[in-house]
Amino acid sequence: MTTEAIGTRSTPIGARTAVLAYLAVSGVVLLLMMLFGATMRLAQAQWISLDPTWFYIILTMHGAGMVGIAGLSGAAVMWYFVGRYVPVSTAVFLANLGFFLVGAVLILGSGFIGGFAAAWTFLFPLPAHSGSLWSINAAACYLFGLISIGVGFLLLHLDIVRGILSVYGGLGAGLGFKQGFGLAPEDTGPPPAVAASTMVAIVNIVGIVFGAAILVMSLVNLYVPSFTFNALVAKNMIYLFGHIFINATIYMAVIAVYEILPRYTHRAWKTNWAFYLAWVMSTLMVLTVYPHHLLMDFAMPTWALVAGQIISWLSGLPVLLVTAFGALTNTYRSGLKWDAASGLVFLGVAGWAIGVIPAILDGTIAINSVMHNTQWVPGHFHTYLLLGMIAMMLGFMTWLGGAKSPLGLAPVGFWLYLVGGSIFVLAFLSAGSASVPRRYAVHLQAWLPYDEIGSIGACLAIAGVAILVVRFLAGLRSAAAGGDDSVR
Amino acid sequence: MSEGRLLAAAGFWVVLWLPPVRSALESDMAVHMAVQLPLLIAIGVLAAPPLRRFEPRLLADADWLGIPGLVLAAFATSLWMLPRMLDQALADPLAELGKFLSLPLLGGLPLGLSWRRMPGLGRAFVWANFIPKLGAVGGLYLAAPTRLCAYYGVDQQAEAGWTLITVAAALGLVSFVAVFAGRPRAMFAPHDGPA
Repeated sequence: MTTEAIGTRSTPIGARTAVLAYLAVSGVVLLLMMLFGATMRLAQAQWISLDPTWFYIILTMHGAGMVGIAGLSGAAVMWYFVGRYVPVSTAVFLANLGFFLVGAVLILGSGFIGGFAAAWTFLFPLPAHSGSLWSINAAACYLFGLISIGVGFLLLHLDIVRGILSVYGGLGAGLGFKQGFGLAPEDTGPPPAVAASTMVAIVNIVGIVFGAAILVMSLVNLYVPSFTFNALVAKNMIYLFGHIFINATIYMAVIAVYEILPRYTHRAWKTNWAFYLAWVMSTLMVLTVYPHHLLMDFAMPTWALVAGQIISWLSGLPVLLVTAFGALTNTYRSGLKWDAASGLVFLGVAGWAIGVIPAILDGTIAINSVMHNTQWVPGHFHTYLLLGMIAMMLGFMTWLGGAKSPLGLAPVGFWLYLVGGSIFVLAFLSAGSASVPRRYAVHLQAWLPYDEIGSIGACLAIAGVAILVVRFLAGLRSAAAGGDDSVR
Repeated sequence: MSEGRLLAAAGFWVVLWLPPVRSALESDMAVHMAVQLPLLIAIGVLAAPPLRRFEPRLLADADWLGIPGLVLAAFATSLWMLPRMLDQALADPLAELGKFLSLPLLGGLPLGLSWRRMPGLGRAFVWANFIPKLGAVGGLYLAAPTRLCAYYGVDQQAEAGWTLITVAAALGLVSFVAVFAGRPRAMFAPHDGPA
């Protein structure tokens, strides 16, 4: 089937401004969080001095902030494009931004004022056992911050579900379930943006529901410590929520690939039964793959760990394959003129595809037992998030607002980001393969070369992203006024 | 039809109040929480449509988007989820009467009146929050370090916890299947309030 991906409905100015607000917040917070990350790498390289207490606070803030900003910017991509096919509410979209900002303030306050440093995963019972490094109130502040962000995203996804139901009648139809199994003609399937948004809504609502339950229970435990619960159950719930949420950011951002590349190539994105089946399969697998985060938990049932390994090998592949194949066929001999926006979107697919390989390795029990606590782990997730998801987001940002910017330099920003980001993730992966541990504030002398190279990569990547974000911010006013979504 | 619903609600209430039925439904903590309390709420919901025309205009106007009514229902129902209140209902006939009156009148009735005023998104949000919180309450009953009710043993407490978790899981599954298959009327049907 050939979907009508090329501008079916123009976006009202109010909605466009809202999306630009999302991207502006995302860009600024992204840069701030990248600076936090670079600070940690520079400290590990011993190029700057950083108190270990502050290292773990920054580690927590960096993790929570990056996950949040990936979600927020991914939501901007998804909402902008799905709003062309189904009715969505700008008020709800802005409410999500409001809840996010409240949550961000609470989380940053919990860390930089309250000293909360239990990592973004807030694994039970750590928030309540700080060793006097942070107070119960600081931990509660962090958990309330996450709840606030969760409330906003729940509203947003429910609103999108409402829109999908009003047009397609059911989430199965929005996902292209029948088309995926050959029960309906391919040409009656939903556009890629709708299928992706349906999948994200399903998995994220489930994830947020579990996240809300464990957050409430953790809050009770903070103030009534005698209320304890099974730590392994808590870890399962946290990783179910955490894995789904961060994974969903990629599936939101990938909509930029489906929608922006066709505008450059003047070829509509082709969908068929395999495309829809891939999204159905990924929906199931994203919901069930999280045990690969618990491969070192010996108390987990063996079947769950084996399932986690097998599903890890398969989880990202269906959508990745149809997307990568689709991107290649869409661009091959299309005569498109590459620019920073199209390059970033295309790079996003490549970064995602490359990042999945070390992820699959890490999802293998035999390898995970050696690599889990090494820098291999931040290496793989930085590959598909920094060079995958964030690349797609930056591509969307550049496409939507960058062309209106009075500043040039987009190619400079692109190459600095690509080269710096590649050096950065390779330093992590190399260090991981040499068994350099992750989450250590202080490193041995032998580990420093990896940290130094990683620091250089981080600084280059930050410079590149800074150029792209500043360009976007400089062109905000004219971007808000413009409504031209054609190729620039 | 309206009178029929009211009669049915009243009859249902009387049946639940009968001592043999009451003692059967209150002998077990899980049945008390997962059967009797919801049935009392359901009586109020059942009575809501015929009583709607008697609702004072002032209250109807004040029930903006159904939010005040839903908040009242949430407080009334949450109160009777507390172990202390379950004990109180068993120990004191006045408290028992309070439960039998407050759950239909302050829980079910406002729920039935306000639900239709709430926009679809609000209903979905309430529903999506209700399910995990029900599961979380079940989890807290399971995790409780001590016996919480004087009238129910620790084993019944654990059973109640698992029952609530099971009900939450079942509600989640049924809701998902309904929305996936395309029958989400309960959540997204047109509402009476302003858009």
